[in-house]
Amino acid sequence: MTKHCCGPGYASPAEAMKAPREKLLYTIAIYTGTGIQKPDYLATIDNDPDSPTYSQVISRCEVPGIGDELHHMGWNACSSCFDDASMSRKYLLVPGVRSSNIHIIDCATDPRNPTLFKVIEGAEIKAKTNLSAPHTIHCLGSEIIISMLGDAKGNAPGGYLHLDKDFNIVGRWENSMGGIKFGYDFWYQPRHNVMVSSEWAAPNTFMPGFDLEEVGHLKYGREIHFWDFAKKEPMKTMYLGEDGLIPLEVRFHHNPDSSHGFVGAALSANIIHWWKDAAGEWQWEKIIDVENEPHPEWPIPVPGVISVILLSMDDKYLYFCNWLHGDIRQYDISDPHKPVFTGQVWLGGLLGKAPEVNGVKVTGGPQMIQLSLDGKRLYVTTSLFSTWDNQFYPEIRTNGGCMLQIDCDTENGGMKINPDFVVDFGKEPNGPSRCHETRYPGGDCTSDIWI
Amino acid sequence: MMRTVTIANRDNATFQVDHRKPLLDSLRANGVDLPYGCKYGGCITCAAKLTAGEVHQGAQVALNNRQISHGYVILCVARPMSDITLEIGVESHDKLYRNPFLDPLEPHELKPDIATPKDI
Ligand code: FES
Repeated sequence: MTKHCCGPGYASPAEAMKAPREKLLYTIAIYTGTGIQKPDYLATIDNDPDSPTYSQVISRCEVPGIGDELHHMGWNACSSCFDDASMSRKYLLVPGVRSSNIHIIDCATDPRNPTLFKVIEGAEIKAKTNLSAPHTIHCLGSEIIISMLGDAKGNAPGGYLHLDKDFNIVGRWENSMGGIKFGYDFWYQPRHNVMVSSEWAAPNTFMPGFDLEEVGHLKYGREIHFWDFAKKEPMKTMYLGEDGLIPLEVRFHHNPDSSHGFVGAALSANIIHWWKDAAGEWQWEKIIDVENEPHPEWPIPVPGVISVILLSMDDKYLYFCNWLHGDIRQYDISDPHKPVFTGQVWLGGLLGKAPEVNGVKVTGGPQMIQLSLDGKRLYVTTSLFSTWDNQFYPEIRTNGGCMLQIDCDTENGGMKINPDFVVDFGKEPNGPSRCHETRYPGGDCTSDIWI
Repeated sequence: MMRTVTIANRDNATFQVDHRKPLLDSLRANGVDLPYGCKYGGCITCAAKLTAGEVHQGAQVALNNRQISHGYVILCVARPMSDITLEIGVESHDKLYRNPFLDPLEPHELKPDIATPKDI
């Protein structure tokens, strides 16, 4: 069996699962909104248990500006280029949501010490495409597509920025936004000629912070959209209503033949599942409903706020975080219509169940997660978005965020917090910073798509 | 016309600024280190607290009416209408953020585009 053809990534999800263990992690860390006038940065973390610097930040690649708010990031190439010898997974694209600058960081020349290769200026993006607020990045073949949540003035719905493999702006990717009101995350499944996109809100709505009343004023999303991927235009919208308030992370099965996918509705704290039925129609259903929890000091029960979801590479387990409750959950989704609750751990959160983990006070709740390719190690960080952190977890300004590792039982289900790994971003040299999305070299469980 | 800006939490440092220019640009040109992000009035990063005087900030879309009533101004679009006193930076953000579940907004406290006038 060929392990490697010629381009980046793996021949299949099953091949990806056999990759060597990840020994470095990349996460972005922000000073935006903290009062510390320093640039945000990409932190490299050593997670090789045999290394003397295990569980430490070993290098920091600062971006040139201050106040970018680094958030999500993506690779320049993935397994969709597995057959293309001219491509390699060398660069992370790291956008600033507030500045719209897109930082291209070389992670391959020296993986332990990534360096800034190029910046696509937000001003150029706005001038050429009338788009701002970059979020999710996916590549397909040699093309790179980025969801942009606003127009140049921060109004919804924004659109999609198309870059070529050398990071030149091609223009707008989509031919039409149809009736889409908001953008956020997206994922595609080329064998079904489909892309699914979700909805947060206009940058001018979510960036300043969360006013709950604006949900009732329809300033936040409650729909998901199915696109004709080849035509680059939406073909069907699913109105999720109260079951799907603020649908965020979109994940298709890794299996490129599958039509099943999932989205987490953050405010409703539900998991929504979709699939193509026997007649070729896209259907959806709610499969998980996280109950609101009482809180001694709150007049109303606390919603979970599902800030992220993720599927293991074998599509067996679904993981998600309740950022306000403070738990990460694992469900066996072997039958995607009937998830089975198999594991749960607590860290931070507002319910006070695990204020301290591995000797570090956890400020914030479990937020972004990334899973090892073999499905055994789940990495979690605690900050959501600077202004929203400041509303729900104001002490994060002085305590900073942290990263932990959860060990996952892939045979029988179950999770436990690894006692040896903790990275305390409260102790960073320039002062407390906040960590968000994590990736690792070679491709991870939210980066690769097979064509 | 030039206006005097006093920055209360920088030892009352004063700066002369052009009333036609956004305060963020004028103050940065004078060497004041200020946080900012979008530079069009939508992201709140540059918020400061106005404790005396008046500004015009019609282009801002980041603040709700509660934040405005607490004196917050958006420096990247605000222009001084008089001599003013500001508190700047995150130290001035004590009343900018609130837990939206614990401390809801009244209809008149929403952002200006969706607020309903207060019943009298
Ligand atoms: S810099 Fe974004 S509101 Fe001023």
